[in-house]
Amino acid sequence: MKQVEEKEEASVYQRVVLKNASPYHYLKVRLVLEDESTRLSAVELKYFIITGLKSLYGEVGAALNFDVLKYDEDTLTAFLRVYSRSLVKLWSSLTLLGSYQNKACAFRVLQVSPFLLALTGNSRDLQLD
Amino acid sequence: MVRLKSRYLLCEVNVSDRSQLLLLDDRAIMVAVKAAVARTHGDYGAAMCSIRFCVKYLNAHTGIVFLRFPKSCYKLLWSALPFITSVETRGQKIPCFLNCLHVGGTIRTCQKFLIRYNTQQLHRMLPKCKSEEEKRQVRKAILSCSLTESKEAFEEDSESEEEEEEEE
Repeated sequence: MKQVEEKEEASVYQRVVLKNASPYHYLKVRLVLEDESTRLSAVELKYFIITGLKSLYGEVGAALNFDVLKYDEDTLTAFLRVYSRSLVKLWSSLTLLGSYQNKACAFRVLQVSPFLLALTGNSRDLQLD
Repeated sequence: MVRLKSRYLLCEVNVSDRSQLLLLDDRAIMVAVKAAVARTHGDYGAAMCSIRFCVKYLNAHTGIVFLRFPKSCYKLLWSALPFITSVETRGQKIPCFLNCLHVGGTIRTCQKFLIRYNTQQLHRMLPKCKSEEEKRQVRKAILSCSLTESKEAFEEDSESEEEEEEEE
């Protein structure tokens, strides 16, 4: 990480661009089901995502490493972590995953960031009074 | 100049039982490759396979097959070939595996490689020949290897090579 230097009195605008800064990407996703009352455990959610990867990208896709870091059963919101090279494959298979046990479902991807800290704040939920 | 570029994979089908080799046909190999790609790479691989994939040439006597893939995705589809364990044809499952010998940009370069490869195989067979008659036939086959306009020329060489192997 580059240090921003202060020049004399005036603060100089400096743009810092980080390429491939983090080996992982973090996603905040929510599963929206047609039937509101179904509950999934964390293991079932991970298996469900793996079946989605398998149908779109085959055995090689199903072998992608990803982790469910945190899972809230009531709102069906999960924090996923995946290696940066596999982000496109995971995100596209989440998009195309359409049915859970013959019922319609959808994955809403709320936030994606290479840094976990960025997922704590969300300018969409910001209340400006 | 815009040109649709493909890659031609020269593969050899290895079966344990040589008589079953003659039952192969190109439709069966195509189905086997598509199934393996769909299993290994899912819908994405199956879609890439449907663009410009076909079996261009199959020689049932020697088990040489030319597969054509698009240039943009041939490496991904090539990686699925080792997962083929059997080919289903005429109600029989023949256990086999595909061994890739050469990748070429055109059929002509693959043909040239195949002729050089067959001559090397014939050279390797010569010390193993048991009788004088076989030695004479192998030498004649080596001398007659050349690139002509039709594919029949190197098919004949391959057939005589196959006969030599059977006689051994």
